[in-house]
Amino acid sequence: MASTDDVVANEAELPEAGWLTALLGLPAMGPRRLAALLDGRSPAEAWVVVRSGRPLPEVAAVVGGRVAALATEWAQAARAIQPEAVWSATRAAGVEVVAYGDASYPRCLLDDPEPAPVLFAVGRLEAVAVPSRVAIVGTRRCTRYGRDVATELGGSLAEAGVAVVSGLALGIDGAAHAGALAAGGASPIGVVATGLDIAYPVANRRLWNRVAEAGVLLSEAPLGTGPRGWRFPARNRIIAGLADVVVVVESHASGGSLYTVEAALERDRPVLAVPGPIHSPASRGTNHLLAEGCVPLCGIDDVLTALGLVGSTPAPADRRPSPGEPDLGVLEAAGWSPTTLGALSRRVDLPPVDLASSVARLVRMGWFDEERGFYQRVR
Amino acid sequence: MLATVHAATLLGVRGHPVRVEVHVDNGLPAFNVVGLPDASCKEARDRVRAALVSSGFAWPSRRITVNLAPTGVPKAGAVLDLPMAVGLLVACGEVEPTSIEGMAFLGELGLDGSVRPIPGALPLVDAVEVDVVVVAPDNADEARLVTPKVAHPIPDLRSLVLALRGEEPWPETGSSTQEAASFEEPDLADVRGQRMARFAIEVAAAGAHHLLLIGPPGAGKSMLARRLPGLLPDLTDDQALEVSRIRSAAGEPLPTGGLFRRPPWRSPHHGASSAALVGGGSAAMHPGEISLAHGGVLFLDELGEFAPKVLDALRQPLEDGTVQISRVAGSADYPARVLLVAAMNPCPCGGSGAPGGCRCPEHVRLKYFRRVSGPLLDRFDLRIDVDLPEPVELLGGRDGEPSSAVAERVASARERARARGVTANVELGASALATAAPLSHEATRLLEATLHAGRLSARGLHRVRTVALTIADLTGSEALIGPDLIDAALGLRIDPFRPAGHGIH
Repeated sequence: MASTDDVVANEAELPEAGWLTALLGLPAMGPRRLAALLDGRSPAEAWVVVRSGRPLPEVAAVVGGRVAALATEWAQAARAIQPEAVWSATRAAGVEVVAYGDASYPRCLLDDPEPAPVLFAVGRLEAVAVPSRVAIVGTRRCTRYGRDVATELGGSLAEAGVAVVSGLALGIDGAAHAGALAAGGASPIGVVATGLDIAYPVANRRLWNRVAEAGVLLSEAPLGTGPRGWRFPARNRIIAGLADVVVVVESHASGGSLYTVEAALERDRPVLAVPGPIHSPASRGTNHLLAEGCVPLCGIDDVLTALGLVGSTPAPADRRPSPGEPDLGVLEAAGWSPTTLGALSRRVDLPPVDLASSVARLVRMGWFDEERGFYQRVR
Repeated sequence: MLATVHAATLLGVRGHPVRVEVHVDNGLPAFNVVGLPDASCKEARDRVRAALVSSGFAWPSRRITVNLAPTGVPKAGAVLDLPMAVGLLVACGEVEPTSIEGMAFLGELGLDGSVRPIPGALPLVDAVEVDVVVVAPDNADEARLVTPKVAHPIPDLRSLVLALRGEEPWPETGSSTQEAASFEEPDLADVRGQRMARFAIEVAAAGAHHLLLIGPPGAGKSMLARRLPGLLPDLTDDQALEVSRIRSAAGEPLPTGGLFRRPPWRSPHHGASSAALVGGGSAAMHPGEISLAHGGVLFLDELGEFAPKVLDALRQPLEDGTVQISRVAGSADYPARVLLVAAMNPCPCGGSGAPGGCRCPEHVRLKYFRRVSGPLLDRFDLRIDVDLPEPVELLGGRDGEPSSAVAERVASARERARARGVTANVELGASALATAAPLSHEATRLLEATLHAGRLSARGLHRVRTVALTIADLTGSEALIGPDLIDAALGLRIDPFRPAGHGIH
């Protein structure tokens, strides 16, 4: 990918995206601060201003009183960064850099209230240009139910030609993409909060690579950026902006996915929430969204309707052996919330030996999933 | 002038015969002890001198050399005070050399000449090479447990000399003033509800399977574990002697009836060092908690709070049933066949740990569980969750089945194990297990599938089969091991590590 004309000999030849990459590499440089800094200046001019360490009154409106300290910090950092070296390293790593206004910049982000000034991409950027995209988001601390719903939705949507947008976090995010990848169909779109060379969380590294291979990985952060708390909500606004519809599968009473919901509402994107058991803390946020008038997601058709593509996909045949007695009774007693052997022994009138073997049998046949000693029904 | 006195010293939980040689000669007045004595052995010089003078004997202002033979064995403790004093008395001509022939002396001396009890009387008396032993009155009961030997209790140095000279008879039985704290073993009837956990404890007791209880604080994990020793049968004579020897060496008073007959219960705090748990430490090589629990139950509460290094030190003794401690000065073997019971919270925050139900980030939870290594976890044949009991069960409800009823079933299961040549099923080797518990065709296929799915290690396979056999013993089933028994054993084996997302299709 890197050709000779990518190697920049002197600073004057550096494209706008190169200056923006350097600016984004400054400590605690977010989209709002950058926008304030670029007010009436080209990125190259902004770089010179920052480097000089001059006071930055225009940034004060966004940052507040801390602006002097920040200007010094930026100036120090800027003196240590060589924009042309960063640029050629980024290009050499096979990372595509698109600035706002470039032809390949995602069209759906053009009228965003807070568009990313630059997007870094690994994979095929064309994957974003499908007719419909749905964001599937939710908590990292999810239940088996949430994971199953996310996987199932991701799979059915990808099959129906709808690109799945998600954040590649643990829990719901990862499950949605795993489902989409397994189903094939539309290419997945991952939007992450770290630099594209830093897979986070490490546990999802494989998934991360598979998404980059099958679709595209996007980030607002230049290479080498580690996980920072503030970058996750900022990343969520890009997810909301890319999606035509946002689906929240499971969310605790407070959590990152609610930022995505907020960002989606700001951008007039329809939000669908998956109803959950009222006892489940992992569904407290989603159930609350429903109470506030959010559209419930009771099946894939609800998403397709929200996208304006009405249709239905038949459920795949269940190949698990049907449970007999007393397993059926145990399965019913378990309900749909995580439960333990001890709790089951109070609900089912079976001798302990029979209960233990029944539960092990149900796990083996695929009706129960065991997680840390808790049993959860598998649909 | 030379005198030789029989005695013994403690190395770990075993006694080693020692000969105390005392040589008194002309020269500058001195008192030297040679032959690998430890600090408390060297201090004996001051105690012996004061005790002799207080008892009205003259201190020889000559050159005294005490040699502790064999010189290669490290000597520890004050047990050699009395033999040194006796040797000096013989060497100075206060007592005839013939009067101490065939006699050994074991005891610590007070500065007033009194003879004080020493820890480990049982293994020490066992080790001496002669048939008559002189000990402190408080050690007499313990010394008499070593049957062919005769024990003379002696209160102080003065009466010892009178008895040796034949001027007075040996004092009669000095009855022990120490008494082991005896207590009622708590009864399983106190536990309300908890059907699964009760069953798991019964299986653990019947087959001597290590048991891991996982549950939130207040669920009754410790209460359940505390009731496990009460389900175990009495110790056999050999076991009782072995257990008593270990505990005697640790300085615990023996029960009034003689030997320890009930399985011990040890519950070390999670701050314990690996020396405290496994044994060793100083040159004296003390037995660790795992040896003190030999024949009984070792309970590790808050397993996740123990240092990982300490827990891993338990792995080898758990497998072999013995601990070998090696030091520069020598090595010692301790028996360490225990039933390990451990308890831990499902989550570091103390919540229930239900998926999606707690605020602990995944990495915090993982860090908590990583302290228990996979290989150690694999040694727990039974792993079960213990829920908080329901208020209805606590307030109303019937008493649970009493320990005596459960102990009967356990005893008959152990009876069946004895017919296989072991005390409990857990000791069965691979070939013995294959003969004792042949698998039915379906059970074999089921296990194959479980192994293929990666849910069982090779060690785990053996353990699951053993637990299935124990359950068969408890339910009185005689036939082949069928799939239901294998499933029951698998069901009592939850995996607290099993991560989320195992079944992404």
